[in-house]
Amino acid sequence: MIKMQEIRKIYRTEHVETHALDSFDLEVKAGEFISIMGPSGSGKTTLLNLIGLLDSFDNGSYVLDGEDVTKLSDRQMSHIRNLKIGFIFQTFNLIPDLNVFDNIDVPLRYRGMPARERRTSIEEALSTVGLVSRMKHLPTQLSGGQQQRVAVARAIVGRPKLILADEPTGNLDTAMANDIMDLLEKVNESGTTLVMVTHDPDLARRASRQIHLLDGSLIDLKTQDSHVPLINAVPAAFANADC
Amino acid sequence: MTVFVYQLRLAFKSLRRNPVLSALMVVAIGLGIAVSTASVTIYYIYSGNPIPQKSDVLFHVELDNWHPDKPFDSDHPERAPFQLSYRDATAIMQSDVPTYQTAAFRGEFIVFPDDDQQRPFREHIRMCFSDFFLMFEVPFQYGNGWDEAADQTPESVIVIDSEMNQKLFGGINSVGRSLKIQDRYFTIIGVLAPWRPTPKYYDPTGDPFGKPEGIFMPFNFTPVLEVYSSGSTWGWTPDSITNHEGYMQSEMLWIQMWVQLDSATQKQAYQDYLDAYVIEQKKLGRFARPLNNRLLNVMTMLEEQEVVPDSTRSQLVVSLLFLVVCAINLIGILLGKFLSRAPEIGVRRALGASRSSVFIQHVLECEVIGVLGGGLGLAISVLVLNLINRMLSTGEHLHLDLTMVGAGLLLSLVAGLIAGVYPSWRICHVAPAVHLKMQ
Repeated sequence: MIKMQEIRKIYRTEHVETHALDSFDLEVKAGEFISIMGPSGSGKTTLLNLIGLLDSFDNGSYVLDGEDVTKLSDRQMSHIRNLKIGFIFQTFNLIPDLNVFDNIDVPLRYRGMPARERRTSIEEALSTVGLVSRMKHLPTQLSGGQQQRVAVARAIVGRPKLILADEPTGNLDTAMANDIMDLLEKVNESGTTLVMVTHDPDLARRASRQIHLLDGSLIDLKTQDSHVPLINAVPAAFANADC
Repeated sequence: MTVFVYQLRLAFKSLRRNPVLSALMVVAIGLGIAVSTASVTIYYIYSGNPIPQKSDVLFHVELDNWHPDKPFDSDHPERAPFQLSYRDATAIMQSDVPTYQTAAFRGEFIVFPDDDQQRPFREHIRMCFSDFFLMFEVPFQYGNGWDEAADQTPESVIVIDSEMNQKLFGGINSVGRSLKIQDRYFTIIGVLAPWRPTPKYYDPTGDPFGKPEGIFMPFNFTPVLEVYSSGSTWGWTPDSITNHEGYMQSEMLWIQMWVQLDSATQKQAYQDYLDAYVIEQKKLGRFARPLNNRLLNVMTMLEEQEVVPDSTRSQLVVSLLFLVVCAINLIGILLGKFLSRAPEIGVRRALGASRSSVFIQHVLECEVIGVLGGGLGLAISVLVLNLINRMLSTGEHLHLDLTMVGAGLLLSLVAGLIAGVYPSWRICHVAPAVHLKMQ
C-alpha cells in the first residue's frame, strides 16, 4: 500500500536547516494496521503529512497503492487524497458551521458524486459509527466522542484504501478512546489500511505493527509477534535499542 | 457543475457567518457601483448616437462667412460657424440635390388655448421645412407632417408634440383642431408620439439635452410673423439691425441647416453646389474667408460642438477610480477573513479540495459580494438619476436601460474580482498541513 524509499525532508529557515526525515524507508502492506510512536519532534507529523500527500519531500520516492506519487501536480495529489485517503485528527477538525451530514459530505462533494449516492454513502457511514440520529446536529451539539465518531464517518465515507489517524483518541477519556479504537479496528478488519500516530503504548499495541521514530529516523520496527525488523533503515547507533 | 453549485452554497454560507462584515462589504461595493453606474449612464446618454440608423447620411451644413481676419473658433481655425444666415439658408434650400433638406431654428410665440380655463402661455416653436419630419424620422401619434406645398404658401398648419397635445386637448386626437398662435389660427395637422432625441442633435446650441419644441411651424412663416430666433444668434459685422427685414438680410447666423445625402456621389454633388454658391457670393463681396464649406455627419457634428462636457468625462474617470478604491479597500478585509479560515481550508484540502478549487470557492464568494453590491448599487443609481432628473427638470431623461444594468453588473463582477483575486490566491496557497495540527 505504501512504499517510501530514501525519503528526505528538510525544513529550512534563513539560518537553520532541520532534517525532519533522513533517508527514511517504509513499507506498509494493504490491510495492515500500523501505529507510529515517538517523542514530540521526532518526525511523526512530517511522516503523516508526507504519507497523506499534504507536504512534499526533498528526496526519495513514494509509491502509494501501486502509483508513483513522487512528482504529482497539486490537482493530482488532491484527487488521490480524495479517492484513497481518509484523515482523522486529534482535534476532530469538523467544520463548525456544517451539520453532521454536511461535514461527512465534504469529501464526496469534491468527488462530484450525485446527490442520491452521496446520501446513501453518508447514511451508511453514520450507521457504522452509530450516529444516524444526529445527522442534523452541529458539531458543537455533540460530545467529544461523538465528534470523533463523525470524523471517523467522514474518513470512511468515500471508502478510502488508507486511513491516517493522528492521535485519534488524544482528546478523549478512556471509555471513549476504547470506543473509537474498536471502531478503527472494525474499519481495519474490513480491509482498510490504517496508520495511526499515538502516544499511548496500550493503544499502539492494538496495531499489528508498531513503528518508533526518533529525530527523523526509524529506530525500531517490529511485528507484534516476531519482533523482526522489516525495513533496513535503522541507524547503527540505534540498532540495539529496544523501545 | 455540481461542484460549482456547492462552492456557491459555501460562498453564501460564509457570508451568513458574519452578516455585519458581509453587509459592510456589500455596501462598499454598492456605493462604488452606484457612483460609477450613474456616471457611466450620464456619459452613455450624453455621448450616444441619437439616430444610429441614419447618422452617416444626415449632414449638418456649415458655410464659413465669419470675420475675414479671425476664424470662428480660434482653437480650431479649420472649423466654420455652426449656423447660417437667413439669406444663405433660404438660398441653398433651392438645391434639388439632397434627398431631404431643412433649414430650421427655434422661435418663441404666445399660444392662446381655446379653453377659457387655460391662460395664454409662451412656447418654443421650431420653424422648419416639411422634410424635417422625414429626415429625422420623427414619430407621429396622430396625423402627419405638412407637405411641400404647405412649405411654399405657407399654409397655416402646425404639428404639436404629445406633451402639448396632453396639455391643450387632454391627449385626444386633436388633428383638425385649431390653435391660436400670436394673432393667427393654425390647424393642427399632426401630433407627435413621445420623442426625445438625446442629445437634441438637430439643434445642440443652447441646451443640447433639453426637450424638443412643443410646436412645429412651416419655416416660411418667419418673415410673415416676423419671427426672431430664441436660440443662439451669432454675428461679427457691426450692422445695426432696426427691423425684422434687416435681421433676415443681415450676416447674423441663427439658422441650422440639415440635408440628407444618401451616397458619396450625392454628397460630392451637394458639396460642389455649396462651393459654387459661395464662389458666386464672394463675387458679391461676401464670404471673405477661404472657401470652407463643411458637411458634418451627426456624430462628427456633436463631437465638434463638444456636446459631451469635459466635466462628464472627468466625472466618469473619477467614479471608476472610486469603484477601484472601494474594491481595493476590501482586499484587506477579505484577506483577514479568508486567512482566519485557514484551518477549515486545511481540512478541505486534506479531504480532496485542490488549490484551484479553493481559489474558485473564494473568488466566487467575492463575486457574490460584488453582485449583491451591484444590485444595491443599481438601486441607488436609479435613485440618484431620478434625483438628477428632478434637479434638472429633465423628466425621465436620465434612466438605466438594459445596457446600463448589464454594464453595472459587469462592473460589480470586475470589482469583486479586483477585491478577491489576491486574498483567494493567498488562502489557496496556505500549506494545509500547518493548520491540521497533526501530532
